[in-house]
Amino acid sequence: MNIDKEKLKKIVGENNFSDNIADLYVYASDASVHYALPTVVVRPKNTEEIQKIMRYANKEKIPVIPRGAGSGTSGHTVPIDGGIILDMKRMNRILEIRPEDMLVKVEPGVVDDDLNRALKPFGLFYPPAPASSRIATIGGEIAANASGVRSVKYGATRDYVYGMKVVLANGDLVNLGSNMRVHSSGYQLERIIVGSEGTLAVVVEATMGIRPLPKYRCLAVANFDKLEDAGNAISDVISSGSNPSMLEIMDKVGIIAVNKAMDLGLSEVGAIILFEADGNVKEAVDFEIEKMEKICKKHNGYEIRKSYDLEERTKLFSGRKKLFAALSRYKEGIICTDLADDMGVPNSKIAETAEKIHEIAKKNNVIMAVYGHCGSGVIHTKIMLDSHKKSQWKDAERVVEELYDYIHSVGGVISAEHGIGLSKAPAWKKARSDMLPMMKKVKQALDPNNILNPHKLMDAPDDWVRATKLRYQVGS
Amino acid sequence: MFSKMFKSLNKKNFKRSKKWEEELNKCIRCGYCYELCPLFKSYNWESDTPRGKLLLIYGMITGEIEPTQDIVEKIFQCFYCKNCSDNCSAGVPVTEILSDARADLIELGFDVEGTIVKIDEDLCSACGICLSLCKYEALSIDEKDKDNPKIVVDKIECRGCGLCLSACPSGAITQKEGCVITLPELHEKVKEILSEDEKKLIVFACNWSVFPGMQLSKSPTLIKTPYGVIVSMCSGRVAPELVLNAILEGAWGVMVAGCPPEECDHDGNYKTRRRLVLLKNVLKELNIEPERIRLEWFSTGESAKFSRAIDDFVKDLEKMGPIKKMEEKKLEAKI
Repeated sequence: MNIDKEKLKKIVGENNFSDNIADLYVYASDASVHYALPTVVVRPKNTEEIQKIMRYANKEKIPVIPRGAGSGTSGHTVPIDGGIILDMKRMNRILEIRPEDMLVKVEPGVVDDDLNRALKPFGLFYPPAPASSRIATIGGEIAANASGVRSVKYGATRDYVYGMKVVLANGDLVNLGSNMRVHSSGYQLERIIVGSEGTLAVVVEATMGIRPLPKYRCLAVANFDKLEDAGNAISDVISSGSNPSMLEIMDKVGIIAVNKAMDLGLSEVGAIILFEADGNVKEAVDFEIEKMEKICKKHNGYEIRKSYDLEERTKLFSGRKKLFAALSRYKEGIICTDLADDMGVPNSKIAETAEKIHEIAKKNNVIMAVYGHCGSGVIHTKIMLDSHKKSQWKDAERVVEELYDYIHSVGGVISAEHGIGLSKAPAWKKARSDMLPMMKKVKQALDPNNILNPHKLMDAPDDWVRATKLRYQVGS
Repeated sequence: MFSKMFKSLNKKNFKRSKKWEEELNKCIRCGYCYELCPLFKSYNWESDTPRGKLLLIYGMITGEIEPTQDIVEKIFQCFYCKNCSDNCSAGVPVTEILSDARADLIELGFDVEGTIVKIDEDLCSACGICLSLCKYEALSIDEKDKDNPKIVVDKIECRGCGLCLSACPSGAITQKEGCVITLPELHEKVKEILSEDEKKLIVFACNWSVFPGMQLSKSPTLIKTPYGVIVSMCSGRVAPELVLNAILEGAWGVMVAGCPPEECDHDGNYKTRRRLVLLKNVLKELNIEPERIRLEWFSTGESAKFSRAIDDFVKDLEKMGPIKKMEEKKLEAKI
């Protein structure tokens, strides 16, 4: 690809430009199974630099891929056609904290946990909280419409986006949205940027809502011998009108993995549920926890432990927090791949889906774990396989296809909070064919030269295994 | 053809690293390792993260990439604080893998700077003080030329802790700049912090004991604190002149935070303790309250204790007020 490297160096400075293989190779992948080399990496510091880069790239029709923490699970930032990686981590200033308006203005490279550290002294917090909040950037969270363990009560990133400044593909700077939680002033254009995975515009500033930190949080854990019982308990908690601030499931595969990786000594039961309530009145929090406790017991939950203490809560939650990576330790000879990782199903289908996942895994010779924020319908899995065997990738392909067909058949979504990227695109395109022409028109209107993160979402290849190189060494 | 030849060459050459291929596959690249990586926070390139380095090693042992000087430099930049491996929920032994890759790369004939220490032979008198300080036996005397003995650094064993550097009487030991760990950089950092309004206390915090989680994001005007924290790696490398320099620059007090005596990886805290006793005596001689220098011990994870100790010290300093001598000096300078 012909890129005027000197021009880019001039824009961002020599120290913030690289075409060195040491950088290109590392920026070629994220947390997904994909891998493709970019042509150059640049680290802009401000909006003006991004405008200049976009003007140049648009004129020359060079792909530009904005990138935050690189923790994406579906290959969103893998530069399938090469091009320019825009590493946004240097734009990391918290610009304003306005407790009187309950909002913050941030640059896209601000890290979620850092924002919450800055908000804590004001008695405030930014709720979406994906599990990767320690590194995830607000820009990346907007791109994926990220959510997390507290989504059951507090919702997803989209619920906190009030407004934003974006640089379009042609370099124009546009102000979208407002400084308000609500507005009815024309198209909600800030909303279409949420979840757009870097394909429509580069977010350079975001105005986000914040909430008061609750005075009390109580976390409880219940054991279940059967995964099905745990799933039914979750559905019952939600349909009974309870108001949990967290409602998580973790099955036996997950429990074994965290015990192996972290030596936690958890009982290796069929599944555990973690449920939390928060609020400013302790009696109200107690009420919610007791109500959920009763429902768990009704569904054969037992050995329920609960705590208000931060240290104890952190300990109870530690296994869940690090489960994703711990799955690699489940069994020797297999590794954890980020595939079929975040589906969403209606509340009434939690137990059925959990069982179905294991059924499909067994049928196709792979291992899968069931965990996630089931209170809001999010079911996470990972496919654990022997990455050296070519046949196992065939198995994975079948699992993805069968599982996604099932998810669509029960009215669910194949990505609830991680995004479509590359690996989920074929199944998503198949199921949402009615919506694709409209999405393409939006893309065409905002990025006519198709330079912003091309070949993702509706433009992604139909064969995800061969869409890029796999980051693993696969034998015959 | 070339690529195939190269792949087989690499596989042959990376015999130590090759055994880690399965472990490298266990890394799911979640990125939790870099939240606490001092190297990444200094340079901010993805290739400075522990996961980035593992990826480069994976690329080399599988023959996907050829080792270049730039890649090798990245592999040799690490302080072995192990915040990465301690935080890796996949349990990947990052630093062990790194050490084996370093050995392979040295065997391949690469010469590197990295974060390992360098000896200026013109300045070095081969007195050997540094040898007794290095817990990793990374320093030795080469006496092949009896009239001209030399200190030699083992580039695989050197952890870059810098204890030798702060104790070298002739200033012959240096380390690459860029991570705010060399003396000139630390001096500059002290000045930068004290130039901010209402900064009273400088805290030198050990990277291993109570790593205060340097934030990636910047909120310069939002939360003002009367103190500034500098992660100076092992407390043993906080040279006396650094502490005195902070006082001269206008700090009301200086705290050195290190591991409890029996917990230091490098045995640097014993040296700090001795040095600070001497420094307090120097302050007395200068008619400055010795209580303005404080040494505190913290175990890993005692961040609440760390915050309390800072708050208590700030309160005590506020009672004491600024150092009169320094105030007079400032006034003189203004006149």
